[in-house]
Amino acid sequence: MPDTQWKVFEVFHQQARGEPHVHVGSIHAPDAEMALVLAKEQYCRRQACVNLWVVPAEAIQATSYENDDIFERATDKSYRESWGYKTPKTIHEEGAA
Amino acid sequence: MTLNALESLVGINREAAINLLYRLADDELIIGHRNSEWTGHGPILEADIAFSSMAQDEMGHAQAYYQLLHQLGEREPDVLAFGRKPREFRCASLVCLPKGDWGFSVLRQFLYDAAETVRLAALANSSLLPLAQLAGKLRGEEKYHLMHGRTWVLRLGRATDDSHGKMQAALDFAYPHALGLFEPTEYDEPLAQAGISPREDELRRQWESAIAPVLADSGLAVPEGTKPVYGGRVGRHADALKELLDGMQLVYNIDPTAKW
Repeated sequence: MPDTQWKVFEVFHQQARGEPHVHVGSIHAPDAEMALVLAKEQYCRRQACVNLWVVPAEAIQATSYENDDIFERATDKSYRESWGYKTPKTIHEEGAA
Repeated sequence: MTLNALESLVGINREAAINLLYRLADDELIIGHRNSEWTGHGPILEADIAFSSMAQDEMGHAQAYYQLLHQLGEREPDVLAFGRKPREFRCASLVCLPKGDWGFSVLRQFLYDAAETVRLAALANSSLLPLAQLAGKLRGEEKYHLMHGRTWVLRLGRATDDSHGKMQAALDFAYPHALGLFEPTEYDEPLAQAGISPREDELRRQWESAIAPVLADSGLAVPEGTKPVYGGRVGRHADALKELLDGMQLVYNIDPTAKW
């Protein structure tokens, strides 16, 4: 059976200015403008939002799970992990302390 | 002159403001109910959710206007919505019309929300402060509603011969009713005098300039020499409103004293 649905757009949602856009899901729409209009009610009717991005799903290049071993670490690389360090909330606060 | 509180309204100004608030509230309630009839029946899931969500917005706006009316001594919002007869409603015929097909419903939404946008922009500067504040608050949601309606009309107007034909037919049918949104009332003059609201003919002119470019871009022609459908603002309605209210008020009327 042919797929009669519209194109798929991935939706990215920003909770406040300066915050990163976070992927929240996808939406069917005939074009980007309609995707933004429909995504607004789909993804912003319950949570705070100041900005939306929509991206055609087909524009996204992804790695393959078949090759997920590329992400494995053959040796101890915990020195790369940043959560061991003390991270001040802002540089100014730390500098002022 | 600024009317800081509803209590400062007296005489003809008070009567006129009450009438205006009924028109605003009843339009919102009835279009909200009509559009909610698409819930579960939208052409695709996303469209269904967006349209239903906006229907809820409109009912919320109605509730806010009914609350102002209640502060002016009218009955409780629930009683105003569910306890009145058709002839007591002051909504325009446009919002009463059955939902029709999807093309008609989104076209009606566009025409209606373009009118709301013009009206709220004016009311945000109303001398009646509580109304000005409420209008300012509602403008964001109405801006989105207009964006939604416009986006659909632009696409369906030009998508195929079939969709174009249906949209032109919907416009020809809806337009005289849409003009009824601006039915002049005996309160036009006092409302304008007191700086509470502009006259209806002034709002109509602004609305016509606002919708013209969108309809042109959609390939749709505004029907010429249209005679407006009036009567809604004085409680003269077609049977469509009675049928709607029979359904909407059914449960409430089983026991109006029930606590929810």
